[in-house]
Amino acid sequence: MNKKILIIEDDPAVADYLTTLFQDNGYVTFSAKSAHEGIELARKEHPDLITLDLELPDEWGPRFYRKLSADKDLKNIPVIVISGLSGIKYAVSKAVASISKPFDRDELLKLVREHLA
Amino acid sequence: MPDSIVIIDQDRDLAKALKVYLERQKFDVHTAAFSRGAMEILAPATPSIILADPDIVSPDEITAIREILRSSPKTRLIIYALPESLEKNMEIFQDRASDYIRKPVSGLELDIALKKARKWLALEEKLEYNAEKITTLENDQALFQQLFNEVPCYITVQDKNFRITATNRLFKRDFGHEIGEFCYQIYKHRTSPCTHCPVSATFSDGRRHQTEEVVTSKSGEQYHVMTWTAPIRNQDGEITQVMEMATNITQIRQLQDHLTSLGLMLGSMSHGIKGMLTALDGGIYLLETGITRKDPDRTRRAFDQVRAMVNRIRKMVLDILYFTKSRKLEYLEIDVTELARSIAEIIEPSASLHGIEFDVSLPPAPITIEVDPVWFRSALVNFLENAVDACMSDTERDDHRIQFRIFLKDTGQVCFEVTDNGMGMDQETREKMFTLFFSSKGSKGTGLGLFVSNHVIHQHGGGIVVESEVKTGSRFEISIPRTRSGNHLINN
Repeated sequence: MNKKILIIEDDPAVADYLTTLFQDNGYVTFSAKSAHEGIELARKEHPDLITLDLELPDEWGPRFYRKLSADKDLKNIPVIVISGLSGIKYAVSKAVASISKPFDRDELLKLVREHLA
Repeated sequence: MPDSIVIIDQDRDLAKALKVYLERQKFDVHTAAFSRGAMEILAPATPSIILADPDIVSPDEITAIREILRSSPKTRLIIYALPESLEKNMEIFQDRASDYIRKPVSGLELDIALKKARKWLALEEKLEYNAEKITTLENDQALFQQLFNEVPCYITVQDKNFRITATNRLFKRDFGHEIGEFCYQIYKHRTSPCTHCPVSATFSDGRRHQTEEVVTSKSGEQYHVMTWTAPIRNQDGEITQVMEMATNITQIRQLQDHLTSLGLMLGSMSHGIKGMLTALDGGIYLLETGITRKDPDRTRRAFDQVRAMVNRIRKMVLDILYFTKSRKLEYLEIDVTELARSIAEIIEPSASLHGIEFDVSLPPAPITIEVDPVWFRSALVNFLENAVDACMSDTERDDHRIQFRIFLKDTGQVCFEVTDNGMGMDQETREKMFTLFFSSKGSKGTGLGLFVSNHVIHQHGGGIVVESEVKTGSRFEISIPRTRSGNHLINN
């Protein structure tokens, strides 16, 4: 069965890019525009991996991550932070990886493959 | 050094006797004689005292004595002569001789005459010394005055009540000849002393203090000044006055403002830029894969996305360019009613939320203006948002009201008038309000809004008139030319 990726990203153009890129590489994707929507979708779909933007309209990415970690069903899902903010490596220290926008798509795909293996 | 005396006498024996007598009294004595039609003087060129028995029948000898007196005006002349020729001598030498002594010479008479001469010489020397000192002082004072005047900063000397007692040339040029006026009145147009006054601080602790101020010149121009104060003490060490030196740093500040706002803008934009570049990457990815997969839908989506991103990036670059020299406003002809409506849509909800009445009054006939709608609109919104804040912060009354009136002026300009009955502003706030990072709102304000708004209005060739009174309210009158061609800034 194909692995599931949850994309949390408020910019529709970037979300569309990630969705297409992941689907083209054989993943099933879900996309959420806000942290709140992200948590809902995560509970419903149990994704295998989450990509997280840090600046979301309702909530900061780090807080989303804390909520995620507090949920015992969700806390083991690997999270890759994708953000345009500098110093993102420190924002969510437990994220499996952090990459900054604009990213190299091969690098992103490599990271995704590693953490879904 | 002993005083030098020259004795002029044809009677060599008498001259010798006098020489012995005077040398005993520690004079440096020389004798001279008149012979072969010339004066033979074995003496310094400028003796202190001449003791002479002039031969009144020899006009040459008289001329020679006069010659010495002329070339050395300080030399004292004491004449001694036989009673019958004494009067004649007096006629000749008049008051140029300090004493006339009768022959035979009495020692006492000679001593007194010499004493008087010496006293006179000592006084003369003292006088000369003082005159020299006064000249030096005058020169020094002139130099100090010149320095004081030429120093390239505004200097005022103030008393304990902040009354100006002295000013330099630059101050007079930009602020007028305002001796006796109050510092806060001249610099800040205030009626009472400023709250953080460096002059007052120096009066109380005797130290130098430094502040940065915004002051208004007599022609109404605003200057950023860096001020330093220094105490002026009297002989008892008490501080009687304080000198305040203010350096005009307006140009540096303007450049700094510009760079800071550019930095702020770029900082706040960098995140957006990164997002856009990522989205552009996405568009390019779609394009690549769309073409290789021969998927026309995907290619079309890619095309739309790339175009949208290019537009977004273009707009952002233009925003950045607004803060650089090459910026240009994007003029569009817009309907004033439409503009007012879109502004009211933003202001109305927050006004009504705080129980503030919001009135919009439009010109009777529809008019259009040529402006950059994005920037112009945000500038107007900023003034109105400030009016809302001013009403919210006011505790004087409950019935708050903001009027937004748009009308055509006689000059042909369009006037946007924002009136509120909120907390109002004091003179200092009014003068500093358009300065970058100046905010009267404490932690709630960034000090950016009015700075940018003022900039935008001026770029449209417009002007802002501000009237405000504490606890009564404020009125902003923003006037701009109706068309872009009416904007002389662009035409020039």
